[in-house]
Amino acid sequence: MRNALHPLILTALWTASLPAAEPRELQFERDIRPLLKIHCLDCHGAIKEKKGGLDLRLRRLMAQGGESGPAIIAGNPQKSRLLKRIRLGEMPPGETKMPPEAIDIIARWIAAGAPTARPEPDKLEEGLGVTPEERSYWAFQPIASTEAPRTPDAARIRNPIDAFLHARQQSKGLQFAEDADRVTLIHRVYLDLIGLPPTPQQVVAFVHDQRPGAYERLLDRVLDSPHYGERWGRHWLDVAGYADSEGYSNDDPVRPYAYKFRDYVIQSFNHDLPFDQFIQEQLAGDEMIRQPFKNMPAEDIRRLTATGFLRMAVDGTGSVNNDESRNQMVADTIKIVSSSLLGLSVGCARCHDHRYDPISHDDYHRLRAVFEPAFDWKNWKQPAGRRVSLYTDDDIAQRDKINKEAQTLESARNNKQNEFIQVALNKEYDRYDDPLKTQLQAAKKTPGNKRTDKQKKLLKDYPNLNVSGGNLYQYNQGHADQIKKLNADIAKVKSAIPVEDFLRVTTETTGNTPQTFLFYRGDHRQPQHEVKPGGLTVTAPLGQRLTIADNNSTTPFSGRRLAYAKWLTNGQHPLVARVLVNRVWMHHFGRGIVNTPGEFGKLGTLPTHPQLLDWMARFFMQQDWSLKQLHRVMMNSTAYRQASVRNPQSDHIDSGNEYYWHKTVRRLDAEIIRDRILTVSGQIDTRMHGTPAGVKTDTSGQTVVAGSKRRSIYVQARRTQPAALLQVFDAPVMTVNCDKRERSTVASQSLMLMNSDTVLAYAGAFADRVNLEAGGSVDSKSLYGLAVTFDPMAYLTARHPWSYGSGAILAADGNSPAGVKFTPYPHYDKKQKRWQGGEKVPENPLGWSFVSATGGHPNGPDSCAIRRWTAPRTGALTVKGTIAHGADEGDGVQATLYSSRLGTQGVWEVHHRDVQFESTFMVEPGDTIDMIVSERTNHSHDSFRLQYTVELMESKSGVLSSWNSEKDFDGPQPASAINVRAPLLAQAVYAWKQAYGRVPSHQEVQLSAEYLQMQLELLMAQAHDNPPRQAITNYCQALISSNEFLYSD
Amino acid sequence: MNQPPTVQCRRDFLTHHALGMGSVALATLLRQDRLLATPTDIPRGQQTFNLLPKQAHFAPRAKAMISLFMHGGPAHMELTDPKPELNRLAGSTYEGDIQYSFIKRASKRLLGSRWKFKKRGQCGTEISELLPNIAGIVDDICLIRSMHTGYNGHEVSIRYMHSGIPGITGRPTVGSWLLYGLGSETDNLPAYIVMTDPGGHPVDSTHNWSNGWMPTLFQGTVLRPKEPRILNLDAPQHLRGNVQVHNLQFLNTLNQRHLTSHPGERDLEARIASYELAARMQTAAKEALDISRETAATHALYGLDDNATREYGTRCLIARRMVERGVRFVQLFLNGQPWDNHNNIKNSLPAACKRTDKPAAALVTDLKQRGLLETTIVHWGGEIGRLPVTEGNADSGGRDHNGQGFSTWLAGGGIKAGITYGETDEVGHRAAVDRVTPNDYQATLLHLFGIDHKKLVFHHNGQKQTLTNQRAAQVVSKILQHG
Repeated sequence: MRNALHPLILTALWTASLPAAEPRELQFERDIRPLLKIHCLDCHGAIKEKKGGLDLRLRRLMAQGGESGPAIIAGNPQKSRLLKRIRLGEMPPGETKMPPEAIDIIARWIAAGAPTARPEPDKLEEGLGVTPEERSYWAFQPIASTEAPRTPDAARIRNPIDAFLHARQQSKGLQFAEDADRVTLIHRVYLDLIGLPPTPQQVVAFVHDQRPGAYERLLDRVLDSPHYGERWGRHWLDVAGYADSEGYSNDDPVRPYAYKFRDYVIQSFNHDLPFDQFIQEQLAGDEMIRQPFKNMPAEDIRRLTATGFLRMAVDGTGSVNNDESRNQMVADTIKIVSSSLLGLSVGCARCHDHRYDPISHDDYHRLRAVFEPAFDWKNWKQPAGRRVSLYTDDDIAQRDKINKEAQTLESARNNKQNEFIQVALNKEYDRYDDPLKTQLQAAKKTPGNKRTDKQKKLLKDYPNLNVSGGNLYQYNQGHADQIKKLNADIAKVKSAIPVEDFLRVTTETTGNTPQTFLFYRGDHRQPQHEVKPGGLTVTAPLGQRLTIADNNSTTPFSGRRLAYAKWLTNGQHPLVARVLVNRVWMHHFGRGIVNTPGEFGKLGTLPTHPQLLDWMARFFMQQDWSLKQLHRVMMNSTAYRQASVRNPQSDHIDSGNEYYWHKTVRRLDAEIIRDRILTVSGQIDTRMHGTPAGVKTDTSGQTVVAGSKRRSIYVQARRTQPAALLQVFDAPVMTVNCDKRERSTVASQSLMLMNSDTVLAYAGAFADRVNLEAGGSVDSKSLYGLAVTFDPMAYLTARHPWSYGSGAILAADGNSPAGVKFTPYPHYDKKQKRWQGGEKVPENPLGWSFVSATGGHPNGPDSCAIRRWTAPRTGALTVKGTIAHGADEGDGVQATLYSSRLGTQGVWEVHHRDVQFESTFMVEPGDTIDMIVSERTNHSHDSFRLQYTVELMESKSGVLSSWNSEKDFDGPQPASAINVRAPLLAQAVYAWKQAYGRVPSHQEVQLSAEYLQMQLELLMAQAHDNPPRQAITNYCQALISSNEFLYSD
Repeated sequence: MNQPPTVQCRRDFLTHHALGMGSVALATLLRQDRLLATPTDIPRGQQTFNLLPKQAHFAPRAKAMISLFMHGGPAHMELTDPKPELNRLAGSTYEGDIQYSFIKRASKRLLGSRWKFKKRGQCGTEISELLPNIAGIVDDICLIRSMHTGYNGHEVSIRYMHSGIPGITGRPTVGSWLLYGLGSETDNLPAYIVMTDPGGHPVDSTHNWSNGWMPTLFQGTVLRPKEPRILNLDAPQHLRGNVQVHNLQFLNTLNQRHLTSHPGERDLEARIASYELAARMQTAAKEALDISRETAATHALYGLDDNATREYGTRCLIARRMVERGVRFVQLFLNGQPWDNHNNIKNSLPAACKRTDKPAAALVTDLKQRGLLETTIVHWGGEIGRLPVTEGNADSGGRDHNGQGFSTWLAGGGIKAGITYGETDEVGHRAAVDRVTPNDYQATLLHLFGIDHKKLVFHHNGQKQTLTNQRAAQVVSKILQHG
């Protein structure tokens, strides 16, 4: 890989660091060498063989020159060969030329007499080394002991963090915002520390905690939650590049035991494992425990599991095991180690000296040598071969004992089976007479490979003699069942064998200390000189670079990683603690003090508050690398506790909030969004640890979590199959690792929240929860006298106003008005699609009486065929249709239209013809309008056809609705699914409290009520099965899709 | 039954339901609507990201591009690059150096082409009988016969073609760079569209449309190979229409109230707008995907009446409809690598041709007749070609990988038509004259879009990145209409 940077850009970056206005003397070390490093030193300095004998590392060597004479003549740019060749474009060779700005700087420097900052050394070691200028870069300086500035304005200064921030704010005329209110604060703390919202009860308790120290106690409580590790472990898994699959190829095989590392991380965070130990265990846990790795105590298993950290990189060697894939895995692992712990992209130095930071090609390979014994590409172990079994000697003994037991049972089973087969065979032989019988027996007895062709043919002709354990049941079911029973017994015995469990770890092979060679241009096919293990030169004081012995003779293994890890965490390393506290800061405040958390070198951004960073790094180490103490000091600051409110004046000065004058509003991470939805909808499964919850492809083709409601950290992270909901909200899909997450705002997120099956199902579950729980848990005062009205019975009637029965018009007598005796038919014949008196017609109490979609049949004067329609609203009703009687025989039938309120509205007789009818009259809700078809005098030939429409012109609105006797005809309606267990507005208020952790205001309740009422109308208009549930579901969906839910402030 | 209550149109709802905050949201939305769209300059520094149209470095020739990516390495000496000398020497031993990927089956026996070439069109460019339809459009295309990645492997060359560095994953692809540099011409459709094959993902899978370290905003949106082509586009039936419109109104009300207490939070405003965009996409995307409105003649042109070409033809037709509606970059992929003819080239190569030849040619013809070819680049080609020697048995075998020389064709968007450019050596092994590397190809594409490939810079982790990664890259001016 070639340098990733354009010289123009490099020069621009370089010159940008020069004070623009004041002209100053150009110096070789500060101004010229960096330019030469970019363009020239690869060939004229870095390596032993200098091209053309020209060495450009020192000014005096330049003046001395190479084979073609001096490269520069001080004071005379025109005669300086270096400049000439650069200007002619001869140098550097290749496409990449030195930009004019850089050439100009060199020319001016030569013209000024080519000054140096100090006398140059007489001797120079091989390579580029580290210059004092490079070493003076802030990130490579020791972590300073800084004192918080004294500040008279003590009111808002809760701790040194505030003092540091305040000092800079003052210079800009900025100040902290007011403290956030308690509802906001408790949400902020919960979402930040555990990634779950507080319950409404927890919110209320905190808001009403009047004793001093309420906030501090809140922090203590939440930091003690086991969910803390699930949230902060996730941050670490990002930088570690955690995935449950190997990657590299399209099939992306699953890593079955990667999750153990995830659980190790969660537990370490929960126990506040000192971070120095945490680092040591991950880099070298295997070197901290006794070998061999058998019968390990829990503590050893824990430490060994930690080394899964070094196994997180993409590893293709399980499927494509070649030199390329092996070296790729090693390079990625070094990338993860360096960006997570050192905050440096050492990757550039894989191919050549880093053009920017003083990280040499050799330095890179020193680091590689630390890991070489574990990842020896010449002596590679594939993923499966690296597993360590957790099988103990006890497990083995138990397994052997059980297997022995099972063997006894198996041989008994075999004997029994053979016996049964023989019984079956004998029975088969008996079907034949001699000589055939004897021949068959002989053929069968002869072993397979000794049979004559004749015998083979014979057995082929009589396949029924091929009795086996598998087909025994065809000969004797009883015998087969006995064998089955024996097999079950054996399986049961075997099931007690302890399951063999494994760890995904990093270990070395005893006595294997491979050499590391520098790879020319990073190409493993071009090894150069040997490089010994050690640390990066610039991360130690001058002359004190860490060197590590090839082999530590006190252990069976090399000891390199442990030595390196201890050195990293000895408190002297300039980067480790800074990088870690910077990350913690970033997660609490939305931006890092160094806003490129994985790049502290020249290519990264400078710290906005370098002294604060150092103060925190020291504090962290003084607190025994306790992360929880670090959280406390950050979260106790005013900077953290202030409100997230901007103001135009301050925005004008610092819209990017570099001075921390307000808390930033941030969209929640993908995992928190899903976990929060699962929590408020009452579905979350808080079981911790263990094998990941699988993913699947749903019917629409997207990857979804397969049913599990566990927290998102437990969802299987397949590199090729990221769960869509998580991916769309920027959960990383690991190619290497993730230093900093994107926070995008795109339409696909909106579409996901609006339409995906996943989110709709979550909203439905939320609705079901509030329907169950809202009753009695919402104070009626919080409804402000408002309500949402919905009458399930009326809706169901309106949706299907028809019913079918038998009966007759009652005669009016003096005391009671005339009415209809109506008994619903007891039976619906699904096949014939008709309502009738029993399973069979006419063998039932109602005889021939039935009603179908298109007609029916009466049975005597008391069992007329009746269609009943119930009016849902007030209005003018028009009933209009046709009745037909087909038979010539008999005397036909009579149809009576009867309103429960107004009595008979029409009578039509029909015999062997069609009659059209129409009638209009008023109805009130609940009126029954019956069409009663009765026989006349004759009992026979009374089949009729009937079809009519019912049109209702609503009095109030004038809206016209219509029904059709034939089209609407249906069997029994499902028992009502509409089950509203609490008033709808109470449900809404309850949902609001769950989602937002606060009680809605009067206006918000009113908005909710208006919304629900309108939704109900819309859903009723489309004849939805269950308008109230759907309306609440949609309401819940809006809540969980809203900004108040998706953001933390 | 009941008359459904009416719901106001979108603009009404914005002004009426925004509770006094309408102006903020309205401005955002109108910008999306482009009523207020003023093109901004191509980003030069660290900034927030968006898809608003941006001013190119200089006057662009092309506005859109459709890339028909031919995974696996089409055998140029059978299709686009006639080699009489190879045919003459067939069976004899190749004298030059050669790199194989499949050593076990390798040979140095030169293998001639089974298929005949003819001069085509006015320009007389020779094309094989395997591509009769592409042969019909030679006067509209520029055939480059000297592509060179220098690497024989698939992935290494694919990544080089898509994202600028051989073999490196995790970088943004050409489509991402175009979106980043120029923004989008459409507010209603994803501006970078990828169409995969019903048979599955191509080799190297999702790396083919990676946004790398750019924000996901610049990632390729994959249209599914079957319905529904865009996921989550529609709500279930019972929530569509008025119900959803009303839901979104309510959501908007909630969000506007929330915004009132967080004035000036642009991310909150952007999310409010993204719901609007989503709603518009529902209509626009469906319309764009509906090919039933195309005439029977168009259907026939793309081969939709033939089982062999229907699937690929449909995707080509959709690609044209997308570009017509302002989509910036569309790329079509085949499953696996159908052009990777190590074996049985005799049958497998004609099959790959049959499937793609007609639709690919139809796309150029159709764009031309609609006047869209002027501003739309069509690209046809893979990541490598194939070796002049036999792999395996001469009759049942095929040819091994060859990144040293192969063909690609381009049409439209300011590309000179009816020409060939570059040559391979006499047996078609190495690009010998006017070599074109993937970086040259990328620099040329960006140039046609009005972008200087050296100046389109993205800041990543403190580093300034470009598509061509400061590698030697030249705009191939001889293939430009106005070179």
